[in-house]
Amino acid sequence: MSGFRVIVIDDERIVGQMIKASMEPDGYNVETFLNAEPAFARLREEKFDVVITDLKMKGIDGMDVLRTIKTAYPEVKVIMITAFASLDSAVEAMKSKVDGFFAKPVKIKDLKECIYKLLNPVDAGAA
Amino acid sequence: MKLVHKIMLANFINILLIALTGFFAYRSHDQVLTKLRFVEIANDLNSSFLEMRLAEKNFFLYGDKSALPEIEIKIGVVSDTIEESRANILRAIGQPKIEQLESGLANYRQALKDAKVGDLAVQAKVREAGQKLGEFTNYITVSERSEVNRIIAGSRKGLFFSLVCILLSAVGITHLMSSRVLKSLKRIEKVTFFISEGDFSKIEPNTSTDECGLAISALISMAQELRNREEQVLEARKLASIGILIAGVAHEVGNPLNNISMMAQNFIDLYDNLGRDDHIEYMKRIEEETERIQRIVKDLLDFARPKKPDLMETCINNVVNKSMRLVQNMIYICNIEAELDLKNDLPSVYIDEHQVQGVLINLLTNALHASSPGDRLRISTGFNRITNRIEVEVEDSGKGIAPEMLPHIFDPFFTTKGASGTGLGLFVSYGIIKNHKGEMKVRSELGAGTCFTIELPVYRQTERSEQCLVSGL
Repeated sequence: MSGFRVIVIDDERIVGQMIKASMEPDGYNVETFLNAEPAFARLREEKFDVVITDLKMKGIDGMDVLRTIKTAYPEVKVIMITAFASLDSAVEAMKSKVDGFFAKPVKIKDLKECIYKLLNPVDAGAA
Repeated sequence: MKLVHKIMLANFINILLIALTGFFAYRSHDQVLTKLRFVEIANDLNSSFLEMRLAEKNFFLYGDKSALPEIEIKIGVVSDTIEESRANILRAIGQPKIEQLESGLANYRQALKDAKVGDLAVQAKVREAGQKLGEFTNYITVSERSEVNRIIAGSRKGLFFSLVCILLSAVGITHLMSSRVLKSLKRIEKVTFFISEGDFSKIEPNTSTDECGLAISALISMAQELRNREEQVLEARKLASIGILIAGVAHEVGNPLNNISMMAQNFIDLYDNLGRDDHIEYMKRIEEETERIQRIVKDLLDFARPKKPDLMETCINNVVNKSMRLVQNMIYICNIEAELDLKNDLPSVYIDEHQVQGVLINLLTNALHASSPGDRLRISTGFNRITNRIEVEVEDSGKGIAPEMLPHIFDPFFTTKGASGTGLGLFVSYGIIKNHKGEMKVRSELGAGTCFTIELPVYRQTERSEQCLVSGL
């Protein structure tokens, strides 16, 4: 598991902090951002494996983040979390090839499991 | 009665008056002509009679035998004249007088038949008959002349009076009509003014049934239709804002709930790896997040159960000054240059001081949040004579609001402050000012600053209103 790099984009500071606190002991390398622009800058600099993004954000919102990343870095997995999950937004995210969709409050265990499966498809198949 | 009928009636009266005048003028003219024609005939007869009397004199005084046949010829001429102009004479003097004339002529002829020179009795008889004839025609001529004068004078008088009548009726009716039309037009103008102002309550019900009345009725029904539509639009907007509100509640409460949940999960999962300080830090932050939810719920309750405003006659400058005192410290810390421009002698407003103060503090803190050190903040009060409203402006030279965001700033849960704002401040403020029958407006330029204007109606009982003075901050 070590070495996998994760980006969290959420204007709620605590979300990034909690995901980071929960995942780093498992060997993930987590970087947190309050909005999308600096995250994009980091993606241009280095390779990341997973991006977790909030849907509703000021400026560039989660749906834009998803589309941008899926266009520029198709190999990067994108997981969307939102406090206002509607069927429409879920469908839209699916169409844009989202890899995971979580409604807040998020169960960190489920989130981590999802990430694990995304990064280890063979393992997941065997399980 | 309809206007078109009134105009037709007025025209009919005028035409009738002109026709009557024309008819009487024509009749007088005709009568005068008949009389004059007869006067000519009477003159002819008179000269024939004079010639007859002259011949008669020659016969009696000088025994001129040829005089008698001469008279006989003249009598024949006179009879022919009467016969020729009988119709004219008849019209002028009537049947009895013609008969009188003819019998006079017959008497004269009869008297002449027995006439002999020197017979004084016959002579006197002939003279008397001749004299009577002459006197008769003279009398008729004179009387007909005076009749002509009478007719002319009467017709002059008649023409003068009918002219006055026509003038009076034309001027009177025109004035009456135009004043009625103008009155109706004034009403239409008033109705359209009220409609354009959106103040349908001032439109009086229509009573007249003419064309202008119909136009007013149409306008009033249009206004009522507009009012109904406006209510429907308001209702739809209310429903829409409730939808926005619910979505907002879900999102706004969802975020702190998620934060609490995630912290609680980590607290359990990482309990052994965390130190005592971390444990306390987690709990503190959970407490902060619950406070955040509590704040949203409180603002929501303020919105859902707006307190009935406790209205009192108040001087707006005092409210501004009190609000400024409360944010003075923040202004100082933010290093903002604040300027107060409060007009003297403003009319009083009728407001709930605490609610309006809340609105002002909300606007002032928003302005401070949007400003950077060194920016300027300007608060001014004034009276707009056109709208009859007190205006309070809170203007900052901060970052401004993007044009695409401007239409949404009064929406519930719309915030530019991220997690630190609930997005209910301006929404609640807007509702408070609306409750005071006021208006809240905003203009903003990105990078140049924002200006919020609160408009409040002035206190109506002016006799009780005290002129308010600016008290020092």
